[in-house]
Amino acid sequence: MKFFNKILFFYYREYKLNISGFQDILTNIIFFFVSIFIFIFSVGPNKETISVIGVAIVWTLLLLSSTLSLKKFYQDDFENGNLLIIHLNGFSYGFIAILKTFSHFLFVQIPFLLSIPIACILLNIESDKLMYLLVSFGIGSLTLSCLGSISSSMNLMNQRNFLLGSVIVMIFSVPIIIFSVGIINMEENFNSLINILFGILLIVFAINPWASGLCLKLSLENN
Amino acid sequence: MKFLVNPSKFNKIADYVFKPLLILSIILFALGLLFSFYLSPDDYQQGSTVRIMYVHVPSAWLALLTYAIMTLYSIAGLAFRIPFGFIINTAVAPIGAVFTLICIISGSLWGKPMWGTWWVWDARLTSVAILFIIYLIIIFMNLSFENRIVREKVVAIFVLVGSINLPIVKFSVDWWNTLHQPATISKLSKPSIDPSMMIPLIIMTFAFIMVGLAIAILRIKIEIISRKSNLI
Repeated sequence: MKFFNKILFFYYREYKLNISGFQDILTNIIFFFVSIFIFIFSVGPNKETISVIGVAIVWTLLLLSSTLSLKKFYQDDFENGNLLIIHLNGFSYGFIAILKTFSHFLFVQIPFLLSIPIACILLNIESDKLMYLLVSFGIGSLTLSCLGSISSSMNLMNQRNFLLGSVIVMIFSVPIIIFSVGIINMEENFNSLINILFGILLIVFAINPWASGLCLKLSLENN
Repeated sequence: MKFLVNPSKFNKIADYVFKPLLILSIILFALGLLFSFYLSPDDYQQGSTVRIMYVHVPSAWLALLTYAIMTLYSIAGLAFRIPFGFIINTAVAPIGAVFTLICIISGSLWGKPMWGTWWVWDARLTSVAILFIIYLIIIFMNLSFENRIVREKVVAIFVLVGSINLPIVKFSVDWWNTLHQPATISKLSKPSIDPSMMIPLIIMTFAFIMVGLAIAILRIKIEIISRKSNLI
């Protein structure tokens, strides 16, 4: 019971932190919408063109804007020592990585999930495609959170070149982009594509605690 | 076989091997280029452009081989605490990047006359491009960390995570319908290539391996020396 209380307190703390810094998340979402505007301005306001490439635009910009918040993933907790305190309270590094991944999914990716319908109205995407988009982003965003955990824990001690973290996330998210845009454009083999997406999610989810836990341990030991 | 994991033994062997290796690589390159330019036949469809294969295929194999070696040494470094694995990782990554770049450039030079375009977004080409970017990320990671212990281990973890891409590169031609042709030589059944083209290809592959080994030996020796003198 004590263990579950600790987990609850961890999420309560994350909730407090994210509520107090809510303008950061809002800024991410505003970035998402502003980049949609810029995309539409550069393509031209032709309705048919936009509805053809709309899904691809939404997915690309979701990926880009969710990599923006990677810097905050572990960095704050690492610098003020909270990561070490959480570890001393009986959580292994791998388990911290899993908890943090879910917290990132809840507080950073879910707001994007809520803002997708508005983006669909702006981009003229039909409502039956919206369902597929939401399902694919629900799976894909958890994958992106896992990748974000791996890359940001790798770059904790990297003072010079933090953009590398975003590049790592983007290079490993290529299959997610391919299959989730494929889901929306090919409704007939929905099941097989969603199985592939789940498979990718499981692979990344299995790698995540191992890789990020080891990186966290290394950074904390050599800080 | 201790020279594969022990830096001082490696240094000793490398001193013996280096000059013969250079001479052998020069001979093999001369022989291979002679074979591939003059002594091998034109393809009945592709004409003379088939000779690009003698650079393209060995460099692609070596790009994959280099990454596989880095993966093995990362496992050795992380799991068995052999520091020589991290030395290999740092030293060999740029060589693999260059081989991948040669493969991409020669492939696109070959693609222009045969497919009619420099670049197609098919599975094999895309996965090789991703392999190249992974190599670049490894090089940049090696440059941007200040703490050496953290750097080498983080790079090793990244190499292991990135090794997911290796089977994708290898089997992409079988899993998807690609414009790139499937494997003709490195497959389970008999190679479907004529011996007159197989011989120059094998000679060129060994020449590439020798050159790669020679450069790798130089870079590993530099890495060992700089670690001994605590330069990084």
